[in-house]
Amino acid sequence: MLADRAKAMQRVCFDAEPSDADLELLGSRERWLVYRELVQNRLVEVINVALARTKAAIGDESFGRAVAEWLSTGGPKTRYLRHVPVELADFAIPIWRDKEVPWIAELARFEIASWNVRHAPPDPEPESELAFDRRPVLSSALEIIRLEYPVHKRPTPAAGYEPDSTFLCVYRDADHRASTKTLNALAADLLDAWKRADETVAESVQRIAAKHQTEIGPAFIEKLSAIIAEFIIGGRL
Amino acid sequence: MSRKISTEVKSSVEGIGLGLRYDLATELLERRPETVSWLEIHPENYVNRGGRYQQMLDLARRDWPIVTHGLSTCLGALEPFDGRYLRELRSFLSDIEIPWHSEHLCLGGVQDRFFHDLLPLPFTDEAARIASQRLIEVRDAIDLPLALENASYYAPQCDDGLAEADFVVEVLERADANLLLDVNNIYVNGRNFDFDPKAYIDKIPPDRVVQVHVAGHFLRDDGLRIDTHGEPVPNEVYELLDYALRKIGPVPVLLERDNNVPPLDELLAEVDELWTIYQSATEAEHAR
Ligand SMILES: [Fe+2]
Repeated sequence: MLADRAKAMQRVCFDAEPSDADLELLGSRERWLVYRELVQNRLVEVINVALARTKAAIGDESFGRAVAEWLSTGGPKTRYLRHVPVELADFAIPIWRDKEVPWIAELARFEIASWNVRHAPPDPEPESELAFDRRPVLSSALEIIRLEYPVHKRPTPAAGYEPDSTFLCVYRDADHRASTKTLNALAADLLDAWKRADETVAESVQRIAAKHQTEIGPAFIEKLSAIIAEFIIGGRL
Repeated sequence: MSRKISTEVKSSVEGIGLGLRYDLATELLERRPETVSWLEIHPENYVNRGGRYQQMLDLARRDWPIVTHGLSTCLGALEPFDGRYLRELRSFLSDIEIPWHSEHLCLGGVQDRFFHDLLPLPFTDEAARIASQRLIEVRDAIDLPLALENASYYAPQCDDGLAEADFVVEVLERADANLLLDVNNIYVNGRNFDFDPKAYIDKIPPDRVVQVHVAGHFLRDDGLRIDTHGEPVPNEVYELLDYALRKIGPVPVLLERDNNVPPLDELLAEVDELWTIYQSATEAEHAR
């Protein structure tokens, strides 16, 4: 039956150790081990590109163990090769948070955010110009993340990173690369709200200014205008 | 029912094409060589994706007709298709105006998991029934002609290598479908499983072939040939292309190069070689 063969193929390709019974069912031990290698290599290759710095920081062996453990859960659920590193990271980041020095998981989060924005969908067409009484339309290739370690600063220090909480806007730039901009807590909240787009610009500004106990005076308006101008010019708003 | 290929779009996809790949896109899109008549893309690389890929496709479409070749709706799987993806695919394909779409005759996933590789189907009646039904299902969903591509495989599926050709023909006939004939895959399978690639081509109904793939492959130390699309096209594959085109006539030929991508000039030299073969083989057809 094709169904039994298909499941055996899945186990041979992804299990920690392919079983003799599956290899026997499929027919040629040696050739099915070739398939296992081909399937795994393609996935590992894209993971290594997306998480290059994390891999270098953890070391090949430990990184490879996490990848193998993830593969043994049955293989990728995504049809898009570009989403494979995201699935691996969802699985491995909690493990790295437990087992590695604390900034490693932060580095992986940052690398995945950068990868995501590079490969994000095309930007939505705004229905109209930005207006305070409308909901904002932010670029889809943009993520706001809070990092406990400044892992976006390169190169990775030999002794690792010291804690330093940072809000970061990671976005796809005009050359289609991932760029970053450091934000203060208020700007991070504001962009988060704009990304959710469930309230108007005016509502979000008022709510977040109140939350941060900031008066909406001339200095605030000036900073807000600067952010909006930068985002409009950069094509992110 | 098989869908008729629109003559208007089809007539623009002729001669020799090249696969649009990230690694060669910059040079290709800048130089726009005239010897490359059309481009092929994998929709999975573009659906729901902006950035560089969106830009590549926009630039490519200015000068070249596009044909699409799917990776993830393989015809051998058992689980129902993801309806949402099929709708997204249909809308993507209709936006870029293609004459036909193609997909592999293989197993690409099981349950909700994807191999991201092309795993072999056994050459059984059950597999032919499933593949032909799925082909019809995808073809209906995208509302376009859908060609299946014969795949390469490395693990023996039965004692007689030529049984693969019978299997391919069986699926084509059951689904009344078109074929994307990959001559490199036939060559690789022929060498790995000891059959005559020309005898395979003899079994293919020429009228069903809408497109041909040509590529290079990797020869391992143990003698196994792997369809890497990472090496230059070997002479034996050029020869097989010549043999196939003399039977089939002037169908568009695509050079696939996915790995180990050399400078564009090296690929263009292969494109020139393909043109030479294409012209000589199809002139012979016209003369007949
Ligand atoms: Fe092919």
